[in-house]
This record gives sequence, C-alpha cells and structure tokens, in this order.
Amino acid sequence: MASASPDDIEFRSVTKAYGAVTAVRDINLAVPKGSFLALLGPSGCGKTTCLRMIGGFEQPSEGKVLIDGREMNGVPAYRRPVNMVFQHYALFPHFNVAENVAYGLKQMRPRIAQGEIDRRVAEALAMVRLDGFAKRRTHEMSGGQQQRVALARAIVNRPSVLLLDEPLAALDKKLRSAMQIELQTLQRELGITFVLVTHDQEEALSMADQVCVMSAGRIRQLGTPQEVYDRPADLFVADFVGKINRLSAVLEADHATIRLADGTALNVGARPNVPAGAVTVAVRPEALRFLGAGEDAAGRTVSGTVTHRIFLGSGVEYAVDIDGLGDFLITADRGGHAAEESLSAPGDRVRLAFDPAAVHVFSSMDPA
Amino acid sequence: MTRKHLENAPITASALTDEFMRLKKGSVTRRHFLGVTGLGLAAAVMTRFPGAFNASAYAAEDLGTQMSIATWPNYHDPATFENFKAATGVAVEVNVFGSNEEMLAKIQAGASGWSLFVPTNYTISTYQKLGLIEELDLSKIPNFSQASENPRFTDQGKIDGKTYALPKNWGTTGFSVNTSKIKTPMKTWKDFFEIAQTEADGRAMVHDYQLTTIGSALVSLGYDFNSIKADELAKAEELLIKVKPHLFAINSDYQPSMRSTDAWMTMCWTNDGAQLNRDMPEIAYVLGTDGGEIWTDYYAIPKDAPNKAAGYALLNYLMDPANAVKEHIANGAPTTDSRVIALLPAEVTSNKIVYPDEAALTPLEFGAAVTLTDPGRAELMARFKSA
Amino acid sequence: MALQQETRKKLVTLALVGPAGLWLFVFLVLPFIAMVVFAFGKRAPEGGYQPAFTFEQFANLGSRAAAFVNTLMLAPVGALACLLIAYPVAYYLAVKASPRHRLLLVSLVVVPFWTSLLVRTYAWMYLLGARGIPHLLELLGIENVRLINTPGAVLLGIVYGYLPLMIMPIYVSLEKLDRRLLEASADLGAKPVSTFFGITVPLSLPGVMTGLALVTILLLGEYLIPQLLGGGKVFFIGNALVDLFLQSRNWPFGSAIAVTLVVVVVIVLMIAMRIAWRFAGTRQVDLV
Repeated sequence: MASASPDDIEFRSVTKAYGAVTAVRDINLAVPKGSFLALLGPSGCGKTTCLRMIGGFEQPSEGKVLIDGREMNGVPAYRRPVNMVFQHYALFPHFNVAENVAYGLKQMRPRIAQGEIDRRVAEALAMVRLDGFAKRRTHEMSGGQQQRVALARAIVNRPSVLLLDEPLAALDKKLRSAMQIELQTLQRELGITFVLVTHDQEEALSMADQVCVMSAGRIRQLGTPQEVYDRPADLFVADFVGKINRLSAVLEADHATIRLADGTALNVGARPNVPAGAVTVAVRPEALRFLGAGEDAAGRTVSGTVTHRIFLGSGVEYAVDIDGLGDFLITADRGGHAAEESLSAPGDRVRLAFDPAAVHVFSSMDPA
Repeated sequence: MTRKHLENAPITASALTDEFMRLKKGSVTRRHFLGVTGLGLAAAVMTRFPGAFNASAYAAEDLGTQMSIATWPNYHDPATFENFKAATGVAVEVNVFGSNEEMLAKIQAGASGWSLFVPTNYTISTYQKLGLIEELDLSKIPNFSQASENPRFTDQGKIDGKTYALPKNWGTTGFSVNTSKIKTPMKTWKDFFEIAQTEADGRAMVHDYQLTTIGSALVSLGYDFNSIKADELAKAEELLIKVKPHLFAINSDYQPSMRSTDAWMTMCWTNDGAQLNRDMPEIAYVLGTDGGEIWTDYYAIPKDAPNKAAGYALLNYLMDPANAVKEHIANGAPTTDSRVIALLPAEVTSNKIVYPDEAALTPLEFGAAVTLTDPGRAELMARFKSA
Repeated sequence: MALQQETRKKLVTLALVGPAGLWLFVFLVLPFIAMVVFAFGKRAPEGGYQPAFTFEQFANLGSRAAAFVNTLMLAPVGALACLLIAYPVAYYLAVKASPRHRLLLVSLVVVPFWTSLLVRTYAWMYLLGARGIPHLLELLGIENVRLINTPGAVLLGIVYGYLPLMIMPIYVSLEKLDRRLLEASADLGAKPVSTFFGITVPLSLPGVMTGLALVTILLLGEYLIPQLLGGGKVFFIGNALVDLFLQSRNWPFGSAIAVTLVVVVVIVLMIAMRIAWRFAGTRQVDLV
C-alpha cells in the first residue's frame, strides 16, 4: 500500500510546535514524483520548518511525514533519501570543491570505489558546469560558483528528492535569473522531485510547477503558478503573489456590480461565489489600461491624474490618483509608446479601463 | 587502626587559610619557597603613625617616614616594627628572602631600596669586597656592646679591623627526625644519607641550598663542609645523585611537610627545629657528630641605602637588649649577646635545641665565603636537581 | 588637504599603537637585546655579568640538557593531557549545553583565574599531602599512599592549572562553528561519529592548535608547579633559570639558556602554525 504511493512526499496532518509557538499547523500536502514544488510565504510562515521536517532536521510534533511512501518520523537526516541545498550553501571550508562533492559518496556503505567516486564527482561538476574547478578552494569562488558546488554536492548522491532552502537569495538579480533557468533544466534532466523554499514570489512562479503559498503555519493555496496568480484563493495570496491595488467596496446582489464609497458602480463580471455585501477588491496593476482619446469601455472606465512615473525599461509604472479612489499602481507595456514624449507624465489627466478578469473580489469577512 | 595525631587530620578550610596567611606573611619558609615563588617581596608595611612619640635619642636627625629591611621569613617579632614606628614615626617595609644568594643577586642588580638587611656570616666578606656595604659608624649604635658579644659569633662582621656588620643571632644546621616514624637512632650525616635510602625511603628532604646540601653530603663522606676540591665535590655529587630518587623533596620549605608527616626527616635550621619540636615533640633535632654548619646572621647597611639614618636608628633599636629579647623569643634562634641571655626565660636558655652543649658545637663549621661564589658548587647543585 | 589627511592618519595610528609599542620596546625588546648581549659574556667572579665575546655559555648548554629534555617532554605531554580533557568539555559547552546555562558554565571555567595559581597549587599540596587524599585512603584501609612530589602530581597540577587555557580557544572555535555544516554533513549521509571526526574536529583545529601552542609555550617556562608539586626533584628550564639568576648569579649562562628557550618557543610556534595551516586552510589560523 505504502510503496504504491505515487507521491514522493506526503504530509499527513503535520503540526510542529516549539514550546508555546506553533510553527506549522495541521498541514496536509502531497508532492507527486518528479514535480517542482515551491513553498512560498513570508518569513516565519513555516515553510522552512516544513522543508527541515522533510530533511530530517526537525521531527513533527504531530502527524506524519512520508517520503516515497515510507513514514519518516524518527528517521535521522543521514538515513533519508533526500539531499538539501542549504541557504548560504554550507560548503565545508576545509575541503576543496571535489572533496565537498565527494563527501556524500564517501559516506555510502558499502563503500564506493575511489574511481567511481571520481567519475561521479566529475559528472556532477559537469552537470553544474564547473568542470575544471575540482581543486579550487570554495572560499576562492564567487557566490554563483559556490551555489553550483552546493548543487553538485546535493545531487551527486542521486537523492529521490532535492530540497532547496532559499538557494538564490544570496545572488545578484542577473545571476538569479540565470540560475532559475538552470535549476529548471537540471530538474528536468534529473527527473527528481525538487522542493524549493522561497519568500520571492517571482522565483516561485518562474521555476515551480506547483506553488504552495503559506502563512502563519498554514497552507493558503496550492496550485500551479497561473492558478495562484490568476485565481488567488484569498486576499493574502493575491497580495503576496504579485502586486495589487486594494479597494473597499460593496458587492451588489447581482454578484457582478461593485459600488465604491463615492457611489461609482463598476461591473467586474459575475462573482457567484462571493457573498453580496462588504468586499475587498484587489486590482492587479496590469488590469488597468490607458484609454486613448475617443476610446471607451462602458462601465469600466475611471479617470485620474498621474502623480509619479517609474521607468522600468521594458515597461512603465505609474502612480495615478484616481478620482474618488485614491492612489493606484498601474503597469503599462511600452508597446507602441517607444518615444519618451508619448508617455504620460506627472500631472497628466488620464482615463483608464480595467480588465474584469484581473480584478479579484473577496468577501471582507475573509481573514487576510 | 591507631588514632592519628591531630596534625594528621585532613586540613580544614580555616587551617588552609591560616597557612595561606602564614604564606602571605612570609613565615612558611626560611630560605626557599617565597623567594622562588616570587612572593619574596611579601611585605608588611606599617602605616604611619602621625604625632608619634619622639624620643630624644632619635630627635637629633631627620629619620624620614619610611624605610625597608631585607630579612628572612618568620624572623622578627612583628611588634618590634610597630614599636619602632611608634617611637620614631618611621614605617618599616619588610622584604623577606629565600636565600643569601638571592639577597646578593638583588643587591648586586642595584637599587634594592633597603636601608638595613640581614646577611649570613659567610657572605659578608663578598659584600665588602664588591663594595656593596659600608663600614658601620658605631657611634650611631650606642646600644651595641662589643664587650657582651661572644666573639665566636661576631668575628665575621669585622674585616681588617673595621666593623661592617653586627650580629643578630646564631644557629646551627642539623636535621629533624620524626621518631615515631623512624626507629633507628641517628647521630651523623652519614646516618642521614643512609636512612634516607632505606628506612626513610621517599620521606627525607634536603635543602634547595648549595651550602648545606652539598656541605652535609661532604661531611657524611668525611670531607670538609666547605670543600671546593673537584674530586671531593665529585664524590658528594655521586652520593647526592644516588640518594635523589629516594628523597621526598629538595626544598627548604620543610616545616609543612614535616608537620603533615609527608616527610619524616629533613635538613633543618635551629629555629625551625625548635618550632617543630615544640609543636610535635616526636620530631627530634639532631646535630651531626661528624660535622655540619654553625652560622650567624648579621645586620648590615647597604652602601646605596636610601634612608641610612633610619637604618642606623632601627639597628640601634634592635641592639637594645630589651627589644632584642623579644626577637629571640619570637624566632627561637640563640642570641650572641650575654645581656640578652640574661633577660631570656629559663625554658629558652635550657632548651638544648636552641643552646646545645658546647661539645655538640665543636665539630660544626661556619660556611666559607668561597662557597657563595664558587661556580663548581653552583653547577653541582644544578646537576643534582636536574638529574 | 590630502597631506593633512595623511598626517592625521599617521597621528591616529601612532596614538593607537604608540603606547603599546613603546611599552614593548622598553620592557621586551631592550631586555631581550640585553639578554643576547649577556649571553655572549662571562660570569664575573662574584656573580653577575662581565663583558666578553665568547660562545662559552652556549657551548655549556649541554650541562642543562636534563632540564631541556624534561621541559620538552613535559610541555607537549602536559598540553596533550590538557587537550584530552579539555576537548569534551569545550564540546559540551559549545554544542550540547543549553544556551540558557552556557554563560554560567563558561564563566565557571574561568572562575579559577580569580585566584592566583600559586594559592591553588598550594591547595593541591595539601590535597595530595598526607593530610589530604592519602588520609582519606587510610580511613579506607589503604596505607602509605604517596601522591605529593611525584611526576603524577606535577602532571595533575599542570592539567589543573592550564585546563581553562585549553578549553577557551577550543570552545570559541566550536562555538563559531556553523551548525549548518553539521546538518549538511548529516544530510549527505554522515553518521554523527563521521560528522564529528570529518567536520567538527577539523574545523575546531584552529582552536585546538591555539590551545596547544598556548599551553605548550607557557609550560616551556613553567617552574612553579614542578617546584611545589614535584618537591623540587622535577627540574625544568624555568627552574634552571631561577637558580642561575637568583642563586648562582650566572647571568650570562642564564641569558644563553633564556635565548635558547625563546628560539625553541619560536620554532614550536612555527610548527604549530604550519600544522594548523595544513589542516584548516589559511583563513582561520589565529594563534595566540
């Protein structure tokens, strides 16, 4: 029964408490073989504790953690078929690169022949594109290179699950983007399950095929990146994953019209699942679009004054003081606005239309 | 199991404190421990006494407020310095030393700061030769009486008819034996070194002091106490190195070990022998019939004394029989001055450890100046200790 | 302006290191020069120093060979004995002790330093003497045990006296050891014992080497403990120096021995640093 489980990792009603503080509360989670799961949330949400319970550095207070269908409660870290890439890498400073990578292989019993160890170390280093660095001391290497050593060290034992604890946090932005692609490629090549812990929603969305958003020790939403972004389960998820503009309003009985404080009615499309009454409306910055002269979008048009313009290169962010609603953040593609003079400038009066699909309505009864 | 002597009881906290206080006061060892451990400068500074009584005898000259003396541990009645301060207003800082060699080393290095010190007989000619002490102006020491001094003990203070040092007290170097542990009767240094290897195996102590340790070994072999002849020293060295593995310790701080009965037998000076015997009657004091040392400690004033006037004043004070008698009762060493003997209680003068019969003194010799500076003896001692 | 800045910088540097530099020059460098000069001189007939230029003193070093051998044997043996006892203590303090009690426990290690080593060694004289442990053994029917004035007593005194100096540097290096390295080791399949010998021990080597060097160097100059607990029968270079300067007043020979001792210390330090480099890489070597 147990070994027939298709899931690599399973949490069954797992709770972890440190004295009076409960870090993880009644988590149920299944990670299918070969998937790339991101545990996403702000610091203190319990994501790292979950990862450490998989790694064996923490034991659940209640519930069970299973790896490959086997219960892992009480099994020490060194007997688990998982390996971890630690935050800040935790490379052994007294070993060179090859020795770091070979460390796991040397722990194997029965012993592996030295020739085999050398071959597999070279293979792992090639995989993270560090051929030729075998004899280097780790502290002589750049952050990106150290990151690769940590990766090589973790995959050389061929774990069934690779755990990554904020692996890219210490890298600069450019390197981070490159590593995101590399990690994805690596995961596809190895075909093993990756579990990534991150507080960076962009990282989670870009790499993982399953995103688990956590807050205060609980799972708020589990889904694909698109699901989490486009259909956030609650205001917290909407707010944490991507940017939002937040409005208080009332959803009318038709479950499609929201009425703002100043009486303006906006049609946001049918929301059958949201009870009529007080709601919080979350509007993605890209949901608002500048209207050209003469353009109109009936019932979905607002007007305002540009207060700030932030040039991002590929796009532009505007802060717009929308009449009756206050400050809104709006992102616009540069699109046809290649010339600087065609961009709106602070002080300009503008008209905007919003896309109902990118407007999320949550009952104000929901905790956020 | 037999009931142990009180001294055998494990040391109590208060007893340890007492020992430490003794250590601090510098009374634990005479010639070794404090000097070697660096506590040699443990000092008892008597605080100033404003408005002190000014006796007319001291009023003639400005004595200042402070002086320092170099002497041996447990060698003075502490009241002496308090009384002197009360009489003159001069506070006395007491520096105690472990050996004559050490005293010489300090004064040779310069700026000792002493205005009075207490060298032993055989060192005085060397101090004089090196110009480290000056001839005493006896007119400033009216309390000294040449007539009442025993010349046997005062001769070495005079060089070429000039007086460089005045005697404090004399004494002997014999050995103390715990007779409840060692049953064989002992009379000679030959006995001492034999028993040290047999009945007292692991329980005997010799001084960490070239004069007495080498001297007694020489005597036990029938040689002169002060010999510096290479062949005789070689024989003495052979004996000492043969005995060494059997010794409890090479240490001039023997009172604690004798009292705890860790050691059963030790080379010993008169005053320590008297103290041990007084507290533990089973510890006998023996003078070797084959020889040994007799000695006198003197007062002398360094040439570079910073407060000569006070040095003379204290010396004169100490030469007053009324003051000196308290010193002798306190330190247990025999006096050289018949005026003081007359004042001592009968139980002191009749104590055969302090005042042995003349016959017992006959074989004893004074230490010779040459032993102080002879490199051969110093090297022998070093080889013995490091063997 | 720039020049002024430079001058200011120099003045600040001078103010910071000047006092220490002057102190060291007057009380370390000058005496050492004097010592080297004396080492080539002769002993005056009544003791002290007589100017000369001779290698006589160095040629005579052999006469203190026993003291050198004793010292060079005991210093490393004592340091190793300290290490064997200190490491588990330091490990417990740094890794196992609960953080709440750690400060208290660490200060307990340091507390003995509040009392002078002399007094504590003196206390050992009583504990090991006939009125101490042997007396308790006597009550149990074990008679005539002698502990004081044996080489064992000297070793005990040395381990007792120098243990804190060994514990502290090892504790510090274990305490700053990154716990994630231990987790990483376990994660890679290493059993706790393998982690201890493969990661913990090598990474605490700088502390171990510091402790060994510190204790060894201090032991090379030790004379108090052998004097008090060895009954003067155990003779070290320190004892030889005391005798030469305070008893036989042979300053030139004493100087020659002292200079030789300094050279030995420097060699010991260099070897220790070399070993520390080899094991721990070049980064973390912070001897003494």
